[in-house]
Amino acid sequence: MTNSMSNVKMVSEIIENSYKVLKKEVISQYQVSFEVNKDDVHSILTLLKTSGWIQLSYLSAIDWPEENEFELVYIVFNWDKAVHIQIRTRLNRENPVMNSILPIFPGCKYYERETHEFFGIKFPGNPGHEKQLILEEWDDIPPLRKDFDPRAYSDRKFVKREYSNDFVNLNGEKSKQIAREERKEKIIKVRKGGRK
Amino acid sequence: MKEMKLFLGPQHPGMHGNASVHMYVDGDIIKRAFLLPGMLHRGFEKGMERHSWINNISLIPRVCVVEPDINEMAFAMGAETLAGITVPERAHYIRMIILELARLSIHLMSYGGLGSPTGLYTLMYHAHTDRNTILNIFEKITGHRVYHQYIIPGGVRKDLPIGIEEDIHAFLDDLENRYEEYRDLGINNPTVLARITDTIPLPAEVVWELGVTGIGMRSAVNKPYDLRKVMPYARYDKIDFEVPVADYSDAKSRVDCKLQEVIQSISIIRQCLKLIPEGDVRVPLGRGQSMRWTIPKGHVYSVVESSRGEFGYFMVSNGGVNPYRVGVRGASYPQGLLGIEKYLPGTRLDDAALWVDTMGVCSPEIDR
Repeated sequence: MTNSMSNVKMVSEIIENSYKVLKKEVISQYQVSFEVNKDDVHSILTLLKTSGWIQLSYLSAIDWPEENEFELVYIVFNWDKAVHIQIRTRLNRENPVMNSILPIFPGCKYYERETHEFFGIKFPGNPGHEKQLILEEWDDIPPLRKDFDPRAYSDRKFVKREYSNDFVNLNGEKSKQIAREERKEKIIKVRKGGRK
Repeated sequence: MKEMKLFLGPQHPGMHGNASVHMYVDGDIIKRAFLLPGMLHRGFEKGMERHSWINNISLIPRVCVVEPDINEMAFAMGAETLAGITVPERAHYIRMIILELARLSIHLMSYGGLGSPTGLYTLMYHAHTDRNTILNIFEKITGHRVYHQYIIPGGVRKDLPIGIEEDIHAFLDDLENRYEEYRDLGINNPTVLARITDTIPLPAEVVWELGVTGIGMRSAVNKPYDLRKVMPYARYDKIDFEVPVADYSDAKSRVDCKLQEVIQSISIIRQCLKLIPEGDVRVPLGRGQSMRWTIPKGHVYSVVESSRGEFGYFMVSNGGVNPYRVGVRGASYPQGLLGIEKYLPGTRLDDAALWVDTMGVCSPEIDR
C-alpha cells in the first residue's frame, strides 16, 4: 500500500471496529490521533504492535489544570505504512496512575521515568521509574505542571543578588539601560498626552 | 575479580557533550553501565511554554547544539501543519539546502570524532576544517555560524544571497575530490579498521525493542527506512537519492553508511541548486503582526530525519499566543539511555566511546 491516506483509513478501521474512540483527528496524510478510554490503551497498543506499528516514538503528558486532568500521549510509528498514530488518554490529576506499557514496548522505560519526573504520574510495572533521571535533588512539585512557577522557585532557592552599574563608561555615552528607561518614559508621556 | 566503578566523561575525549557513562568494570569488561544525564538540563520545554511562537525560534536551535537546523525545521513544520500555512516553493528548496549542509557538517564532525576514541587526531583536524567551511557558508546565508534561526514557520527568514551558489559548488567539488582521501584516512586505514570491525554490534531484533532509528537502524535491518523517503517532507519527493543500508550493524558499517550519506547529501544539494525556482521565500504570519500570531487548537507530532534518526517535536496549542506544551523527542534518546544500559555490558571498556560516537549520542537533546 503506497498511498498514505488509505493507510490512515486502514488504521481508523482497525481501531474503531474494536474500541470506543472518544475523538478522532486526521492531522495530515501521515498522522492520525485517537482519544480513547484509559482502560483500552494497553489492548489498543498491543493490537497496533501486532498490526505493524512496532516502534514507540514518543511518550509524554500534558497538564490541563482547568479540567483537573493529565493527558497521556503515546505515539507509535510503522516504517512500512508511514503513519504516526497518537493514542491519547486522560487521567485524574489528583492521583495520576497509569499501568506501564513496558511489556508491550520495552523502549518506554526511560520515557515513563521522565514523565514521572516532570509530571508526577506513577507507572506501576516499570521498575525504578521513581528514581531521579535528569533533575538532581528536586524538592518542589514536578516542574512541567502548569501550577509550577519557575520565578517563585528561583526566588526561594537562590540568593538574590543586587547588580549595580558601577562600571566606568569611557566614551561618555549613555548606557543602554538608561537610554531604554528614558525611551520608555518618553513613550508613556506621549501616550498619556502630557497628562500625569 | 572485584568490580570497579568508572566514569566515562563528562571530561573525556570520547564523550560528546556533558554527559557521563557510569560503568562497573571487571578488568576491562563492562558488567553494568548506564548514562547519567542531567548536566545540561536547561528547562527548554518549560521555557517554550513561557514564550510566544515567534520568540521560540531563538530558543529551539539550542536544543541540539551541533545540529540546530533540524529543530527549526521540525518546529516550523509542526506550526505550519496546525496553522494550515502553505510554504512557498522556493522556501522548500532553500530549507533542503540548509538541512543537507547541516547533515554534511554533522557527519563530518562525527566522522572526525571517530579520531578521538581510536587515537587518530589527524582525521578530526581535517573534518573540522571542512566543517568550518560549511559554517562560513552558513554565515553568508543566515548571518550566524552555529545557531541560524533561519527556518521559521511560513518559510525562511530571508532569501539566499547573490552568488552563494558558487561558494556551495566550490565547497562540494572540493569535498568530493577529497572524499577518497577521507576514506583512506579513517575507514580504510588498517589500524582504524582493526579497531572498528565487529565492535559493538547491534542485532536487528533489538532495534525495535530499543526504538533506535537512523543509521543505527538502517545498518541493522537492511531496509531504506529514512523519513525523507518514507514520508517525504519539504520537496524530498522530487529529489533523486538513495539511502545507504547494510545488513550487519557494527561500528564499521555504521561509519560506512555515514560516509555514503555524505555523497548522497552532496548530490541532493546539487539537485536543489538546479531545481530551485524563483519567488517568495516566506508568507507573513498573523496579518503582519507576527508577535501576536496565534495558532488554532490541536496536537501535532512533526518529525524530520536528523543525522541520528527520527527527531520529533510534539506540540500542543490551546489557541493562544504561546505554545501550550512542546515536547522534544531527541533522536539519540533510545540509543543513549536504554542502548547504553542494555548493550554495553559484555563489551570492552574502550568500546564504550565507539558506541557513543557511531550511534550518535547527543547529550543536549537527551537533557533539553
